[in-house]
Amino acid sequence: MRTPLATLPSPTRRLLITWAVLMGLTLVTMLSAQLGGDARLQALPLWSAGLLLLSTAFKAHQVLMTYLGLRDASAAWRGAFIGLVLFTLLLVASGYLLAQLGG
Amino acid sequence: MAQRHETTQQRPLPNPGWGPLSALPGNPLMWVLILSEMVVFAAFFGLFAWLRIGEREVFDASQQLLDPVAGGINTLVLLTSGLFAALAVQAIGRGDKRRCRQWLAGAFALGVVFCVVKVMEYADKLGAGLMPETNTFFTFYYLLTGFHFAHVLFGLGLIALVAWRISHDNVETAAAFWHMVDLIWILLYPIIYLLR
Repeated sequence: MRTPLATLPSPTRRLLITWAVLMGLTLVTMLSAQLGGDARLQALPLWSAGLLLLSTAFKAHQVLMTYLGLRDASAAWRGAFIGLVLFTLLLVASGYLLAQLGG
Repeated sequence: MAQRHETTQQRPLPNPGWGPLSALPGNPLMWVLILSEMVVFAAFFGLFAWLRIGEREVFDASQQLLDPVAGGINTLVLLTSGLFAALAVQAIGRGDKRRCRQWLAGAFALGVVFCVVKVMEYADKLGAGLMPETNTFFTFYYLLTGFHFAHVLFGLGLIALVAWRISHDNVETAAAFWHMVDLIWILLYPIIYLLR
């Protein structure tokens, strides 16, 4: 039996799947940041901070590839944009780690 | 894999005559803007992370005063608004102007929801006496979220304009700007609201 999603044209289906993934990852990000109770007063465990940054990188990748259509661009442009996002998150991760080590 | 590569090679360039930008989909000038905005925000995020090293306690204590759930809700709102903008591009690609306007209206409405949540957040912080000059964290909080907020307002104006003057190029260009606003928020939210 074909699901309603399967009846949609391929580009629309891809958009909806991407949207669902982005929404799910946002919720994962919020959960991994432990927003409830006393946990919010503590520094994040390293795994949680890592998961948060990884899911952010993946979300940015999805927005670039599917929402912005970079999937259809040349490999050089895809690399440039993804590289910039990764470089930004690497800067943030380095600063975060240095701050944790210093504290 | 080799076959796929061959297919990619044979595909005509989306913007012939634009030199290095010819391989990018949509309006090439919008990509210049997107790239420059990403570089500016990357510099701010890097500076924020750098300053946090020396003032970790101030940054962490200040971050406790933000509302991460409101920020998360705004992320979900913007992502859905981005979906509507992308669906508007697909609709105009099929020549369906009516459906395109409907999706644009949805994207616009969710953009307004984002603004309302943000204004409420600003009112709450300012009411609590948390000003841009309170400390370094709040300087960056207002600077980054304010700069992003200005982009949201500009994006809303663009969406309204292209819904009025509807064409494939116009809708695609406005949608690309709107996705860039999405992208920046996706990076901003965890860095300012969550990472501690």
